[in-house]
Amino acid sequence: MDWDWDFTFETVLPRMWEAAGVTIWATVISFLLALVGGLILMLLKTHRSPWVSRPATEVIEFIRATPLLVQIFFLFFLLPEIGITLPPLTTGILAIGIYNSALCAEVYRAGFQAVPKGQWEACIALNMSTYRTYRDVIIPQSLPPIVPALGNYLVAIFKETPLLSFVAVAEIMQISKLIGAEYYRFTEAVTIAGIFFLVMSLVAAFLIRIVENYVKRSILH
Amino acid sequence: MTHPMIQFDKVLKAYGALQVLKDLDFSVDKGEVVSIIGPSGSGKTTVLRVLMTLEGIQGGTMYVDGEPLNKMNVDGQLVDASKAHIRRIRSKIGMVFQNFNLFPHMTALENCNESPIFTQGKSKAEATEESMRLLDTVGLADKANHYPSQLSGGQQQRVAIARTLAMHPEILLFDEPTSALDPEMVGEVLEVIRNLAESGNYTMLLVTHQMGFAREVSDRVCFFDGGFMVEQGQPNDLFGNPQNERLKQFLSKVLEAG
Ligand SMILES: Nc1ncnc2c1ncn2[C@@H]1O[C@H](COP(=O)(O)OP(=O)(O)O)[C@@H](O)[C@H]1O
Ligand SMILES: [Mg+2]
Repeated sequence: MDWDWDFTFETVLPRMWEAAGVTIWATVISFLLALVGGLILMLLKTHRSPWVSRPATEVIEFIRATPLLVQIFFLFFLLPEIGITLPPLTTGILAIGIYNSALCAEVYRAGFQAVPKGQWEACIALNMSTYRTYRDVIIPQSLPPIVPALGNYLVAIFKETPLLSFVAVAEIMQISKLIGAEYYRFTEAVTIAGIFFLVMSLVAAFLIRIVENYVKRSILH
Repeated sequence: MTHPMIQFDKVLKAYGALQVLKDLDFSVDKGEVVSIIGPSGSGKTTVLRVLMTLEGIQGGTMYVDGEPLNKMNVDGQLVDASKAHIRRIRSKIGMVFQNFNLFPHMTALENCNESPIFTQGKSKAEATEESMRLLDTVGLADKANHYPSQLSGGQQQRVAIARTLAMHPEILLFDEPTSALDPEMVGEVLEVIRNLAESGNYTMLLVTHQMGFAREVSDRVCFFDGGFMVEQGQPNDLFGNPQNERLKQFLSKVLEAG
């Protein structure tokens, strides 16, 4: 294998550097979307009225049953048809965020259901509102199981971002493909993309562990 | 005009095909202390749970202080109660659970403050002052900043009682409040309940296996069996001169067991 260090430092790294920023940005915003969207979907799915819960359940099932790449293409080509033109990056973030909302909804549901029944009943006996029940009692107690599970989705989303290269978003995979095509050299760019993903995944796992421990310490006395 | 504080009118509660309360008629006057005794599975807990609206019912109506709980009056017709209606009536009822159900991530004081601050809209200072007073009544003022896991079972149950009192209920429901406790802690909790009963400030429904205690504090004792209230009466009559065959059997078994 021949590896060109000059090419690596002068051509590959500077362009990859910028692309790494796009990848991280896409990951963080998609993740935040999934966190909020997942909570909303879960609350709709467990709503008392079947007029709310049934459609929510169907939507979640539909999203989970379709490949993410198909959904990215779907939004990319469909949104302009109905008059919404967004930059490819925004469309991609939306698609990844929505897809993971459906997955995170299940994490929330499992976490909330793991809170003992007696806690819900105490909230009723104390005549607490639904909002206060979740805000003060259920969510704090379900964080210890929820946080690590959501952390896994952060890493999963990060690893899904290369799919955005299919709609020409200048994230790290797209840039390494472009470099390869321009110079007929794939080795350096693709290897660096791989190392980038490896290192970032390890860093993310480390950060998640810290948050996890913090939550455990501050909630379980 | 006088009406009962609690009234069950032909209340039917079923889990699938299993009828747990069968057209139950039952009422409790204001300030009355009523104990419910009976064998396991006879529906005692269910009486409290449907009244606390932890469970829905399949038939009949419950009234609290003269107002329907699971129904409401719309243009002279009784229709299923709205959430807002249930919350309004429910504010008069407090319940103490067998397993305390304290919020484990909150201190004793925070447990007591939660409902007054966020449900009744009291200021934190106001709520804290009252919660501290209530914790003092149950002998736990010095444990206000402890978390439930740092308290003994008896202490946890006393915090749970203080938390319930903090919402100013008129009705207190106790579901075997000492069953989950080590024997040496039973006394301290019964002492608190006895004081509440003797204060005359509350209408109380107490499910218990402590026959001696029931006899001491109750104005009336009800014996449940198989979803029916089989016999009721003043403690001395019911314990001293039981009529029903099942009640006699039950009492002799309980007394044998000590
Ligand atoms: N959630 C439930 N689902 C099905 N059956 C139940 C449920 N809760 C209680 N039961 C049944 O209802 C009956 C009465 O229960 P309960 O009121 O708890 O009795 P007690 O408190 O007198 O021991 C029992 O046969 C019990 O098995
Ligand atoms: Mg019971």
